[in-house]
Amino acid sequence: MSRVVKQLKFFNRISATTLEPQVVLNAEKYSGLNLTFQYQNHNGHMGARKFWREFLPTLQFYNPEVKFQVTRVRNEDKKNASVPCVLEVIDKEGKPVSSLDMRNKQGLEIMQELLSQLEHERVAEEDIVKL
Amino acid sequence: MLSRLGSKANVLVSRNQARFLHAFPRLSAEETANATVSKLSKDQLKKREIRRLAQRKAAARRPASDHPLYMSVNKALRFLRAAEVGQPHSQQTLSVTTAVISERGAPPLSGNLSFPNALKEVKVAVFTNDEQQVKLARDKYNCHVVGGAELVEQIKTGEVAIDFDKSFATPDIAPMLASQLGRILGPRGLLPAAKKGTVSDNLDSLLEGSMASLPFRQRGNSVSIAVGKCSFTDKQMLENLVAAQRGVKAALANQKTKKPSLLGQTILTSTHGPGIVIDFA
Repeated sequence: MSRVVKQLKFFNRISATTLEPQVVLNAEKYSGLNLTFQYQNHNGHMGARKFWREFLPTLQFYNPEVKFQVTRVRNEDKKNASVPCVLEVIDKEGKPVSSLDMRNKQGLEIMQELLSQLEHERVAEEDIVKL
Repeated sequence: MLSRLGSKANVLVSRNQARFLHAFPRLSAEETANATVSKLSKDQLKKREIRRLAQRKAAARRPASDHPLYMSVNKALRFLRAAEVGQPHSQQTLSVTTAVISERGAPPLSGNLSFPNALKEVKVAVFTNDEQQVKLARDKYNCHVVGGAELVEQIKTGEVAIDFDKSFATPDIAPMLASQLGRILGPRGLLPAAKKGTVSDNLDSLLEGSMASLPFRQRGNSVSIAVGKCSFTDKQMLENLVAAQRGVKAALANQKTKKPSLLGQTILTSTHGPGIVIDFA
């Protein structure tokens, strides 16, 4: 695979081929999402990381005004399960309106659960950028 | 008589054949010996260099929009912001890399840039033994580190961290700087030198002219400049890009070469993101 094809595939993964997060969030209600989880995968934090890596770029691409913040905590101790693994939805005033526990869930499950909580519209077919 | 001649000719022919038989293997042996010493002769190497320069020149002449990864700046920024989502703010730097095609032996492209929207505060160091100049640098220009011989010692021992972006000095301290700190500041391009125009008796005019600007220089065959952060708006980014373009063009015009250098493909990229070809020249 050539360098250019690889790069185009990367762009299309952000804008066209990842289907679930191709939504426009209600901009009047939400101003951002805050994610908190561990650097390490243990105690069920892997899904949160996968959600960030796989779905957040597309969500940002179609919601340029929404601010996404990812806070990762270092925790080498596997027995210490006190680190939160949550996603908070922030409204216009900067207050958290709802939260979602991401522990022991896969990235796709988190995405679907988030969409069931938020007011959103799917991106129209003609607005999807394909390279 | 005839038969004798004929026999002589026969002998000659057979001798020649024998010579040919010997000659062929000897020739091929010579060739392999050459190949083990060096694959390409000096002449061939030179030709290859000329050929590659011509290729790079031809590539630079092609418009950027021909490239499959070409995008308008706004679209590129949208992709880069998406790729950079969730990263710490300090790691979301956008930078521009431009290929420079210059003749062999041309001095590297370098110059100063000032952006309408600054990425960070420029930290300036001033080295001088003159009390008056110290006061001026401290009070009027609010420089990051100011000092004389004692500052040189502190930097040498590591007491003062090297976290400044540019430095200036007066001629009285310049030789001492070069001998004491040349090894430390030199590789970072921070050593004041008369040749660079960063050593002067009158620091006032020097500082005033270049307080907010940042230096850039060619490394290898390209110039790389940090132009913004992902949090900048499209308008701010475009303003900075135009400023960067002007700075590079000015440096090109001032470069002391026989033939003017060319600017090649320009790539906009971010710390973790992909590289995207944009229009720059």
